[in-house]
Amino acid sequence: MTAVVEVTGLTRRFGELKAVDDVTFNVEQNQIYGLLGRNGAGKTTLMQLLTGQQFATEGSIRVFGENPVENAPVLQNTCFIKESQKYPDDFQPRHVFKSAAWFFPNWDADFAAQLATEFRVPLTRKMKKLSRGQVSAVGVIVGLASRAPLTFFDEPYLGLDAVARQLFYDRLLEDFAEHPRSIILSTHLIDEVSNLLEHVLVIDEGRIIIDSPADDLRGSVTNVVGAASAVDAFVGTRDVLHRDGIGGLASVTVGALTPAEQADARSAGLELSPVSLQQLVIRMTTENETEKSA
Amino acid sequence: MSAVTARPRNRALSVVKLHLANPWATITFPWIVMLTIIALTVLVWMVVLANIPDASDQAKAREGFGYSGSSGFIFVYMIVVAVQSINTMFPFAQGYGVTRRNFAIGTAAYFVLLSAFYAAGLTILSIIEDATNGWGVGGSIFSVGYFGDTPAQRLFVFFAILVLFFFSGSAIAAIYLRWKAFGITTFFIALSFVLVGLAALITALRGWDDVGAWFAATGLVGSFAWSFVISLLAAVGGYAVLRRTTPKS
Repeated sequence: MTAVVEVTGLTRRFGELKAVDDVTFNVEQNQIYGLLGRNGAGKTTLMQLLTGQQFATEGSIRVFGENPVENAPVLQNTCFIKESQKYPDDFQPRHVFKSAAWFFPNWDADFAAQLATEFRVPLTRKMKKLSRGQVSAVGVIVGLASRAPLTFFDEPYLGLDAVARQLFYDRLLEDFAEHPRSIILSTHLIDEVSNLLEHVLVIDEGRIIIDSPADDLRGSVTNVVGAASAVDAFVGTRDVLHRDGIGGLASVTVGALTPAEQADARSAGLELSPVSLQQLVIRMTTENETEKSA
Repeated sequence: MSAVTARPRNRALSVVKLHLANPWATITFPWIVMLTIIALTVLVWMVVLANIPDASDQAKAREGFGYSGSSGFIFVYMIVVAVQSINTMFPFAQGYGVTRRNFAIGTAAYFVLLSAFYAAGLTILSIIEDATNGWGVGGSIFSVGYFGDTPAQRLFVFFAILVLFFFSGSAIAAIYLRWKAFGITTFFIALSFVLVGLAALITALRGWDDVGAWFAATGLVGSFAWSFVISLLAAVGGYAVLRRTTPKS
């Protein structure tokens, strides 16, 4: 495996605030990464650091083995579509697609045209007159058709309807199969993309709290539900990620269970259920607050 | 380790093309407005003359036709073009993976190109103005004394003014992009202090006559040639500001 991104001890401070706090991780080549986290967790700042738009306070960033800041050979292999990407005032979608060809060496104009039809993007209307969803679609099309070896999608689908989002996932997977590249997808819609993701990075308050292959993560925690006394007896000294209780019933989220442990739980009358990626992220990023309130 | 598929491309040249991708606002529209302004101004002059029966009174009226500020439209409009080409184009180009350096080089080239283009256009209009005896009514929009006496002088003066407006407009836009309203306010307060201070200094030294003498000695073309120093300072300053700017969403 080859790392296209290597980040070591990276910190970005804005005054008192540490938007990115001593972060270390790699992004392997030709995989789809999910960068998940709450609003203000540091997702956009992190992606801006990786594309040389933002400047590190401490630590090192290597993209394709080099520092990305003001590095044209590195940056021409990246594409970063932001949630609220600004477009020049008088540009129409056709100007966006025409000019993209001058900057992305792998730009596929036919693919862009096909996607514009599928997403129903009007080519000759001013960008500022498009609906929120249509503007997002333009960004999605640029991100896909640029085929940049390192592509960032930062909340790409503000205003996109369910049909358009599904179209995005389908086209992303199809095109990824034919033209493998490294993709970092930042999103709130975790359940929708969980099948797409090969690797998950969860960032909370500037720190990476999960850095794991998506498959490992899916089986890594379990919900245990049953009578409170039975649940407590079973849980014992295990680490509890989350606990809910109503009357005599309790629901507790714990780490992975061995088959023997699962059998024990069932014989104690407890119900076991898997935890979705979205629930896991919620558990991990609200951990502190629930412990306080519990 | 390195998966960079380096295909050498002139990214600065691509930035020039990016600025020209939609020529409507920067090329087509300004000329439509300029030609409309010429037509309306000449029409007004014709109406004025038509209502003055006496020939000597007509001559007096024509004196007033000598100083139309209509051509100022192009210069002011180009400040807007300069501001927009930083304010919206810089964040856009960053998303396309353009370095600040290549953006600055391409944008500066675009400004110089556009200045030459508009200076040439305005000079051609001034030649037409001379050839038609002031659009047939003795009016002056482009062949005005403060733009120079010959087409060659005017070409130079138009070019110098446009370059100055483009680069100072873009420097102010860069300040806005980096520090928002706070930066603009601070900059203009500081600039006001510098200018007022300079004026106070000249007054205190009783130097205004010397200043006037300097301009007279340097001449019109010479004075405008000095504006390139200010333009260069604005260009370098604007780039210095942009070098550490992150586009905000």
